[in-house]
Parts: sequence; structure tokens; C-alpha cells
Amino acid sequence: MENEIRPPRRYKRSKLPKLVRWIFGLIVLSYFFWRLYTVFIVQNEYTPDIWVRLLISGLVIGGVYSLIAIGYTLVYGILRMINFAHGEVMMIGTFAGYFVFEATNAIRFTSSTGEITSLSNAQPFLSILLAFIVGMTVAATFGFLLEKIAYRPLRKAPRLIPLISAIGASIFLQNLAQLLFSPLVRDYKNPDLIARGQGWAITVAGARLTIPYTGVLTFSLSIILMFALYTMVRKSKLGKSMRAVAADKSTAALMGIDVNGVISQTFIISGMLAGAAGVMWGLHNGLVYYYVGFMPGIKAFTSAVLGGIGNIPGAMLGGMLLGLIESIGPTALGISYQLKDVLAFVILIIILIFRPSGILGEVLSEEKV
Amino acid sequence: MKNFKGLIVVIVAVLLLSACAPAAVNTPAPAEVVPETDKVPAECAADRYGCAKIEPGQTIKIGMGSPMTGGDASFGIDAEQSGKIAVADAEPLHGFSFELVAEDDQGAAEGGAAVANKFVADQTLVGVAGHLFSGATAAAMPIYEAKGIPMLSPSATNPTLTQKGSAVFNRVPFTDAAQGKAAATFIYEELGFRKIAVMHDGEDYGKGLAEIVKVEFEALGGEVVEFVGITSKEADYTPVLTTIAAKSPELIYFGGYTQDAGVLANQMKTTGLENAVFFGCDGTFGTDFLNRAGANGEGSYHATPRTPPQTPEKTAFDEAYKAAYGVGPGELSPFTWNSYDCTTALIEKVGDVAVLGADGALYIPRGALVDAVRGLNNWTGISGTYTCAPVGDCNIQGPQFHIVKNGAFVPVN
Repeated sequence: MENEIRPPRRYKRSKLPKLVRWIFGLIVLSYFFWRLYTVFIVQNEYTPDIWVRLLISGLVIGGVYSLIAIGYTLVYGILRMINFAHGEVMMIGTFAGYFVFEATNAIRFTSSTGEITSLSNAQPFLSILLAFIVGMTVAATFGFLLEKIAYRPLRKAPRLIPLISAIGASIFLQNLAQLLFSPLVRDYKNPDLIARGQGWAITVAGARLTIPYTGVLTFSLSIILMFALYTMVRKSKLGKSMRAVAADKSTAALMGIDVNGVISQTFIISGMLAGAAGVMWGLHNGLVYYYVGFMPGIKAFTSAVLGGIGNIPGAMLGGMLLGLIESIGPTALGISYQLKDVLAFVILIIILIFRPSGILGEVLSEEKV
Repeated sequence: MKNFKGLIVVIVAVLLLSACAPAAVNTPAPAEVVPETDKVPAECAADRYGCAKIEPGQTIKIGMGSPMTGGDASFGIDAEQSGKIAVADAEPLHGFSFELVAEDDQGAAEGGAAVANKFVADQTLVGVAGHLFSGATAAAMPIYEAKGIPMLSPSATNPTLTQKGSAVFNRVPFTDAAQGKAAATFIYEELGFRKIAVMHDGEDYGKGLAEIVKVEFEALGGEVVEFVGITSKEADYTPVLTTIAAKSPELIYFGGYTQDAGVLANQMKTTGLENAVFFGCDGTFGTDFLNRAGANGEGSYHATPRTPPQTPEKTAFDEAYKAAYGVGPGELSPFTWNSYDCTTALIEKVGDVAVLGADGALYIPRGALVDAVRGLNNWTGISGTYTCAPVGDCNIQGPQFHIVKNGAFVPVN
């Protein structure tokens, strides 16, 4: 049925499981506080600059997670489905950016000083801009096609069906990339201006530390894009239509809003953000291969749930928070770095115990109701 | 809506059919050799496993079990491509040509056993250049053992594999134990470092190797300030490197592969480890590392088998590989050359033991082939010279270490 959108259902729960959950949550929380106490007060072996470094890593990766998470949240807000192929849209964007840098790096000419240089080094800003434009366009195209081919025919099917279709699309896109680009793990050819392993040196509490150029680019660009998106959703006509469709599809259609068009545009916007995140990922971390979107996709989905799925500021906050938890968490708690994913999911569980709709989830339901 | 459901059914059916297609059914397996036939050579009756009989028109099959789908697909695809060149280079034997049968074992135990069972059902399959991953190899070993199919693995390095008393299993890489001990000794004695951090990529190979290095280095009297794993190909390791930097190690040992090694070498420069030395293993060696790390890889150490210098055969192979597949050897996995050698060595040993029967069929005594492969002695391929120890370890020389200087690998020991 068209009018399937309902306010988030309130399940009737018996008291006992709730009590058990709270006790579990409190035990885990007290464990966390005990570990924090041990690391910060008892051992206290890390200097402030270490924490600043970890903070920087967390913000950079958090920015990427946030951009992808917004895609999940926008689509969920409008279609009430989790677009599990979203990570693969990001992967496509990463590849598109990769090929732009390959191309600009392959174009060589002799500069005025007589040195042979590549286009990407002679015009770094231009080639970075080009990579982002191409990455975002290609990813947006895939987002658009994904909706057209995999989800639109299933618009009226029960909710689980598009979900299965999404998982299928995800596997399809991964294998498509593997066949087209081979399973080779390639690396991004950054312009020298933002070479990996280079950065600004600053001094914190007497210790020198380096902020990577790619990190600065990634973080600032993700903030700009998030701000642009938020303004768009709040102020523009398209944003208004998106909110209207999210609130009630059939009423929105009665008011003369082209629901399918708005849905398509939502997928295009999600794709653009994922594409930008993909190029950032490639520039900052350097690896690109057919599986590259999988883990960021899962992490971004977690971020969206953490912040309250369907809520845009929630996705941004969730992404940043997850990035920080992953980078600072293992060190702050003094546990093995390999447990960072476990830690991220444990924190997700804790937040869902105390706030079942995510950190900013309530705002959404009030708006919707 | 109904049409749509029909469409889905059709799509699913097509997908299922196409999924089945590559697993082409082999030609009906010839019957086991019947001893009373006069035409059967005497070697077969004497052999403990009997003979594989290749009828005229059939090919002599060499199997290969490797991960060809999933996250490690590049290893399997690389091995298959390399093996195909080896088969193409092989001279036909009494008019019988060789064929490589590569199957996907997903690098896992279940897959290894499934592929092995498929291979032993094929009477014309005489040897296996694999499996690639240690887990799959361990599961496949007893199945080949029962049938008398010799294995020559290009890359299964888990030390326990050759401690199981298998007659059929052999391998050309040096073991992780040998490499770990050599690396720890080299770091302690040649480089003179006393305070190191040991990292691994969390996978069987890297973790096993890293543990050996840690134990050996501590046994020598050195200090391992941090022993930590990362998640392979996750690509952001700055938090863990930052935490390690707080303990100021002089060197970072890493057990894993080039893709992560390149990222680590890059990120070490922005996480306070600018002055620590990066020390990799045979998994991190390759031009791939140089491309990924660029200037940030200068001064890092890596290991390889003791290779002969760039021989004409190796150059010819490199060119053939690049021409056929568009990527250079060693880019998809570090085991390209080993895979070629394993396939070639098996083909050569088949040639040594095969007997042309009076009926025109080719008879390959399986037991004799098992012994012949184990008996590899001073056999030179493109990746090294191999002599198999009685347990099946065919590389007894240990690793060669290289340092990166001006964008090239320079041997140091």
C-alpha cells in the first residue's frame, strides 16, 4: 500500500527484559569507566600529543563515515529501506576518482622551467576538483540507476523484498568491479601537493606532530558538503519536497509533488555524497579495489543507526562519533586495536539500550508525528 | 506485478545456470587400470598407487586449488594465470599435452576438501600445484594422500604442514618459522636494534610470522614494546601507529602483504614514527610496495627467497605474463613465480616417470610421481633453486633481505 508510512512503532515490552538490558548496559559502562580510570590515572603513559593525533585520525575517518551515513539516512527517511548497496556506490566513486588521477598523471608535458611534469602536479587543484566532480557524477549515476533498476520495481512489494534486492545489488556491483578492474589492489596517485605521508607540522604540549594534508582536505571538504546538504534540505524546494515525501508519500503526491522524481533525486544526492567520500577515502588511504566500499558501508550504516536513522544531523554526528570511537577507543580503554570494531558495536548496543531510537532519533519521530 | 515475478524467476534461473556453467563436466573418467591387460606397463603393477591412464586424445591434468572469489581472489587468479603460462610453455609428452585445472577453494578448509575430492575423482589428474592457502592445504592433504597425487604448493607456509608426515605434500616457499628466526636474528645482530614493535595483518600468515619474530627476538634478548594486529586492507592505521609511537620503538616489524605495508609506510610518516625503520617480510616485497609507498618506503627492509638474478627464463616469463594479462607478475600476489615453478616442476616430473603403453595410452605411475616430486634435487626454476627435504620442505636456504634505496631493492645479506 502507498500509505504504509507509520510513525515508528512502539513495541510493548515487559519490564523484565528492560531491567536485564539496563543491568547489562550498566555493567558494560562501569567496565568502560574502570578501563578509562586505569589508562588515564593509573598508567598515564600517553602524552597529550598522542591524544591529539588520535583525535585527528578520528575526525578524518569520521568525516568519511558521516558522508556515507547521510546517504543511508536520506534513503531510509524517504523509502524506509536500508540501501545496502550504498557502500558499493562509494566504491564506484573511488574507482572513478582513481581513473581521473591515472589520466591526469599520464598526461605529461614540459613545463616553463624545462622540467617534465604531469598534469596532476602542474594543476593539482584542477585535477583534484576534476576527480571529485567525476567521482561524484559517476557515483550519482550509479545511485540513480540502482534505484531505477533494483528498487523502483519493488516499490509496492513488502519491505523485506527491496532489502534483499539491495543485498543482491551490492554483490552484483562488487563482482562487476572485480570483473571490470580485476581483483588488483591499486593505489591512488595523489598530486605531489597532497602526497600521502606529508603534512603540516604543529607543536602540541612540546611535542611535534604532523597533520596530513589529505586529512585536512578530507575533513574540511566533508564539513562543507554536510553543511551544503543540510542547507539544501532545510531551505531549497527540493529539500522541502524530500521532507514532504518522507513524511507521507501519498499526501505529498496529492499536493503535486513528483514522488518518483524526488526519490530519484534523493538517490542522486546520496550517490554524490558517497562518491565524494570515495574519492576522499582514496586520496587519504590510497587503497582502491572492488571490496573497498564494504566495510565503510557497514560502518556508515552503524553511524546512521547510532545517530538515529532517518535523521540527517544524526548521521553526521553518528559518523564523527564512530570515527572517534574507533581511533581513540582502543587506546583509551587499553584494549587491543583489533577489537575496535567490537568496541564500536558494543557502544552501538549501549546507546540503543538507553536510547532505542539513536542519539538524535527522537527529533525525527516528533517531526514525523 | 505478476509479470515482474516472472521476470525475477527468469533472472534467478539465468544466474543459477550461468553460475553452473564454468564448472564444465570433465570427459568421462577412464576406468582404473586393469592389471591383467598385457598392454599395461610393468611399472603400474609394481606401483603402490597404480597408474593414471591417459587415453589418446585426453590431456594430462595438473590441478590447482586457490581462492578465486572473495577478498583474496587476486591470489588464486594470479596463480592460475601463472600456471597457464607454465602449461603453455610445456612440451607435449609423447603427443599428450598438459592442462591446468584451477578450482576455487576460497582459501578455506571446507573449500580445500571439496576441491580435493573433485580432483581425486578425475583419473587423468596427476598432480596438484597447490593449494595456495595453508588452511585449504591442510584439509586437502589427506585426500590426495589416499589417492597418491603429489602436491607442490607455491605459497602454503604454515610450519605445521610439513610436520604431519605426509608423503605427497611439498612446498617451495621457506617456512614462516625459518623466515621469522632469520628476520629476528638479522634485526638484532646485523641492524643492532633492541627495541621493536611487531605488527601483523590479523591473517594466518602474517600473524603466525609475527608471533615467531616476537618469540625469537625476545629469546635473543631484545624488547618487543608492542605486539598488535590490524585489519587487512582497512587502510586507516594512523590510530594504532600513533599508539605505538608513544612507546618509541626503533623498528616496526610487519607480517602481511604489500597493500597494507604500503599504507603503513605512508602513515608512519605522519604518526610520529618518522625515524623508525619499517621491516617487512616476503609478503611485502615487490614493485607494488615501491609504487604504493614511494619516497616513504626508503630505507625499509623486505625479504624474498634467495632468487637467482634476472635470468633469461625469468625475463621471458615476466614478458609473457605482462603481455597476456596486462598486469606485471608479482602485482596480484607475491607468488606468481612460485606458481609457475610448481606447475613446471610437476610437469617435468610427470615426464620423468610417464610410460607410453603398447595400446597408445600414457601411463603415469602415481607412487613413482609422488617420490619423484619429493626427490626434487637442485632443481632450478625462475624463483629459485629447490631441493626437497625428506619432510617436503623444498626451500632450505632461508630468506634474502633487501633494503629499499633510491626506489629499488638492494640485497643486504
